[in-house]
Amino acid sequence: MNIFTTDFFFSIIRIATPILLATLAAVVGEKGGVSNIGLEGIMMMSALFGSLTAYWTKSWFIGLLIAMLVGLLEALLMGFFAFKLKTDIILVGTAVNMIGSGGTIFLVKVITNATMDQSMTSTTSLITKALQIPSVNIPLIKDIPVLGKIISGHSILTYLAFLLVWLTIVLLYKTPLGLNIRSVGENPNAASSVGVSVAKVRYITIGIGGILAGLGGAYMSMYYAMGWSLDMVAGRGFIALAAQSMGGGEPVGSMLAALVFGFAQALGIKVSATGVDSNLVAPIPYIVTIISLVIFAINQRRKDQKRHAASALN
Amino acid sequence: MNKKNNTKFTIIRAIAAMAIALLVAFLLVFLSSEGATLGERFNASIAAMREMLISPLFKKSGKFSTKNFSDVLAGTIPIMFTGLATCIMFAANQFNLGAEGGIMLGAFVTAVVAIYVPIPGPLLMIVAVLCGALAVAVIMLIPAVLKAKLGVSEMVNSLMLNYVIMYFLNFLMNSYLADTSKGITQTYPFRENAQIPQMIENGSRLSWGFVVGIIMVILCWFFMYRTRWGYGIRMTGINQPFVMYSGMNVALIVILAQVLGGFLAGMGGGIEMLGRYNVYNWSALPGYGWTGITVAILAGNNPIYVPFAAFFMSYLTRGCTLMSTNANVPSQLISIIQAVIFIFFAAQQFLAGYRQKLVVKSAQEELAAKAAAGERSDR
Amino acid sequence: MSGEYAIQMKGITKVYPNGTVANQNVNLDVKKGEIHALMGENGAGKSTLMKMLFGLEQPTEGQILVNGEQVHLSSPTVAISKGIGMVHQHFMLVPSLTVAENMVLGMVPTKSGALIDFKKAVEITEEYSKKFNLEVDANAKVMDIPVGMKQKVEILKALVRGAKILILDEPTAVLTSQETTELFKELKNLKTQGYTLIFISHKLNEIMEITDRMTILRGGRSMGIYETKDVTPQEISRLMVGRDVVLKVEKDKAQPGAEVLKVRDVEYVNEWGKKMLDKVSLSVRRGEILGIAGVEGNGQKELVDMLFGFNRPNRGTIEVNGSNIIGLGQREIREKHISLVPEDRMLYGIAGTASIEENLISDRAGSKKLNNGILFNMGAIHKESEQLVKDYTVLCKNAQQAVGSLSGGNIQKVVVAREFSNDPVLIIADQPTRGIDVGATEFIRKKLVELSRSGIAVLLVSADLNEVMELSDSLIIMCGGRIAAYFEDTEDLSDELMGEYMLGIRQQSPEEIRRVCHE
Repeated sequence: MNIFTTDFFFSIIRIATPILLATLAAVVGEKGGVSNIGLEGIMMMSALFGSLTAYWTKSWFIGLLIAMLVGLLEALLMGFFAFKLKTDIILVGTAVNMIGSGGTIFLVKVITNATMDQSMTSTTSLITKALQIPSVNIPLIKDIPVLGKIISGHSILTYLAFLLVWLTIVLLYKTPLGLNIRSVGENPNAASSVGVSVAKVRYITIGIGGILAGLGGAYMSMYYAMGWSLDMVAGRGFIALAAQSMGGGEPVGSMLAALVFGFAQALGIKVSATGVDSNLVAPIPYIVTIISLVIFAINQRRKDQKRHAASALN
Repeated sequence: MNKKNNTKFTIIRAIAAMAIALLVAFLLVFLSSEGATLGERFNASIAAMREMLISPLFKKSGKFSTKNFSDVLAGTIPIMFTGLATCIMFAANQFNLGAEGGIMLGAFVTAVVAIYVPIPGPLLMIVAVLCGALAVAVIMLIPAVLKAKLGVSEMVNSLMLNYVIMYFLNFLMNSYLADTSKGITQTYPFRENAQIPQMIENGSRLSWGFVVGIIMVILCWFFMYRTRWGYGIRMTGINQPFVMYSGMNVALIVILAQVLGGFLAGMGGGIEMLGRYNVYNWSALPGYGWTGITVAILAGNNPIYVPFAAFFMSYLTRGCTLMSTNANVPSQLISIIQAVIFIFFAAQQFLAGYRQKLVVKSAQEELAAKAAAGERSDR
Repeated sequence: MSGEYAIQMKGITKVYPNGTVANQNVNLDVKKGEIHALMGENGAGKSTLMKMLFGLEQPTEGQILVNGEQVHLSSPTVAISKGIGMVHQHFMLVPSLTVAENMVLGMVPTKSGALIDFKKAVEITEEYSKKFNLEVDANAKVMDIPVGMKQKVEILKALVRGAKILILDEPTAVLTSQETTELFKELKNLKTQGYTLIFISHKLNEIMEITDRMTILRGGRSMGIYETKDVTPQEISRLMVGRDVVLKVEKDKAQPGAEVLKVRDVEYVNEWGKKMLDKVSLSVRRGEILGIAGVEGNGQKELVDMLFGFNRPNRGTIEVNGSNIIGLGQREIREKHISLVPEDRMLYGIAGTASIEENLISDRAGSKKLNNGILFNMGAIHKESEQLVKDYTVLCKNAQQAVGSLSGGNIQKVVVAREFSNDPVLIIADQPTRGIDVGATEFIRKKLVELSRSGIAVLLVSADLNEVMELSDSLIIMCGGRIAAYFEDTEDLSDELMGEYMLGIRQQSPEEIRRVCHE
């Protein structure tokens, strides 16, 4: 059986999209010196409210907006605790992840009970095909043999995600805000000494991350899985942190890392289709994360040593 | 700031954090309450909150309930262990979040030994729990060594390991270990002599594992504050370059802290298994690891406070469960309460304004005392 | 009246959240168009006072007037808008950005609405650079430019933001003497253009050279305002430290014994490929103090790091008492009874929130003496720490107090108590008295001499000329990663001569330098 079909490559992009969105959140965050490990929890919350709103308003678009808004608000709240109340950002992230896991199931039960008189534990029955974030076929490109089948026909969020890679580069390297973000991340004292409000820049940094993670969450519940269910984000927020570090913290590198994870998971799905227990396949992305972090670290170390050795010869 | 004011501040801060958490809980309960009028809903919410706060200790009649109390104590067992595990790892500044997967793996390995290894008498119990603990200690070598030798984030790796452990154990259950005669996925029952005896036979499942937990708390305290290894762990948490410069082996300390953490988490899993169940049937991560992180934060990474923090969390969890059966509020409310308490405890600047006032007051008192002393010595 | 003063600070008191009282009822008046010195020892409260003037900290009590108008300086932005600029001691620059990007940070010129106009940024930089005769390379990344240029960027940054009042926090600390001369010329130039300058320093000669008036702080209080021409250096020194600085350390002539430290032809290339040490050879013998003088950044740090196992030489040998130490970890190095008083005491020397006791035992926590089997022998630990606290006169409530709550001088006493007390054969003292009070300085210097006379080899690295000349039996000067000179005797060395070697104007012959190896 040939697994490397056009379908397979199509699914890599499909699977990589939410990871890419979260990875961009991590990239912007790290540039601004804000390590957000709560991306996972934010995605869960956005996924929930996005799907609920889409159902109530009968509009995937409003659902998407609300998912972004929820992501933004949650990120700003994290910012408040981390920057204002000086809580270790890792602990803030941990708290957000607690709420993202147990808290969302509480909320979905309470909200569905109040609005439709039955306590639901997921929203999968609410998101119909009509409420799914639409896919688009790109004219011309869709007619290209092989390639057309791989890169055309994705959800608009997928295209937005790849566009966002470019926008992130522009933001970080070509705009005053990007300059501020990078200087706050590198030397906050320098930034504040010239009147850049470090607090404001940090809130913006984490806020951008929240919106991006919110998009990732919306993609999960309104396209990828058609409805919210418990722990559906399944570590993608954490994988994004790994992708960020493997990509050297730069947008393009991180995008490639996200695609590697997409590949790993797509491969896993292919394999499990042959009858292998899904429990053996499901952990592949997590194992890939560990292995790739190790390879990245060894590589980095070897590079440093080589540089040292090379310079010693002169 | 002097000691008196410091203690006062710590207590006020803790109470304020709990008050805020309860306020948030009340708001959520109110939102989820049912009733025709706001007043009715308010009363229903008050009743639900009463249920949550009082029923873990008292019966409907208002009398102290030994059964409820022992339920709460039984609930402290697993989170006492994950709390201790997290304390030791966090004290070394290692943000290893693997207690969650650790307790599951410990439970599983212990269960397997308790089912299949024919060891006579209570020795089986001990061997089974130790096997569970050692298995997790070995697994924790992965994030620990990678951190110590290559500088790879132990946080990301331990999170990934949680998932890997869960799926891998489910695979083993499905493929090899499940008792196929049962409708749900569970193992064959443990051997009789593997069961940890109960302290009270009232159905609470308060096993002697609780006492083992308390003993571990004491041992951990001694380890952290009365041995050179614990000292190394604490110093590494405060200032790692200092530890290296002082000639201690930082890599070894980083590994030790995480391996010990794994050992404790695994031990907790084993004790929980043999004390509460007679078959293994977990199919998802149990959440004790996350509660353990909360316990460690509440305890300020000091083992001696772990039982109190664990009791507090167990009490609230039990309260939420009782509330959900009696007042139709989903028991997962505990996650939100837990997160709120957790974050306010971890927030250094929470009530900082009040603290600053106390500091200024202390400084002024000291200056005044010094001035007075100076005058006296001038004469 | 108000027209005369650029800055008036009245009755300023500052209490930090940890309880430290940094300023107490301080008054400061700065006239328009003058260069006003703010003087005081480390910890006298100069930096705190200036942080409040620049909006980085808020006073607990008191008021601030700028050009006669009462202001509330809640942030640097507000201070900048009032025409106040600050050149920080530790440069406030972002290393990966270019000079031009650093210049315009916070006020970035844009084109087509949103994008950075990089060309404009370079133009602005060059315009100001020309106008004030402060030469910088607008397109270079800050991490690649020399220290002197970084300082110019800092000054330009303040000027481009419209500062009329400039605070300079110890601007000469990192400069060579040529760069200092150049800086002074530029500052005088600014003064003639009508700028007001507040100059923080504790170098007397600099103050006498360029300031008009001065305010002296001691222990957080103001000791008064003086016209520079009316006071003598001796008077200033008395006001600053409360007594005549007597740091003459009595010492007998050294009786050097066997060679302890033997460094031969060591070369080190750092991770960026820059050669930091070039054929360095030296020996330190029992019973002597060998001083290393030099402007900071000339290889001293790399040499010390190498001696304590923090990096490895690319070439050369290092032996202590005849056995190699290259490649050893800090534990093995300590087992050879080598002690290090680290330059950065807050990073390497202590664990701030741990107790004094815990800090005193860090190098011997595993020793038989302090352990009973697997447990600590708490009695022995208490006894040891109390003895050290007493012997080294550490001022504290008790040994259980957090070390981070002590003053700088007492923190350093804790560090030296540990480093001097574990039976060392070689002590490496890197900037042992930097930034600490006179009492602690004197104590530590005496202790170093005492230990060397008892037969310990001491390698003293210090940027403080006074210190190396006073303490060393013989000394070397490092410049550009090489040993520029060796002096067998420090008695009749002049500052001028040393300065010329330090700045690379002079260089001894290899034969003269080789004498430090005592072969």
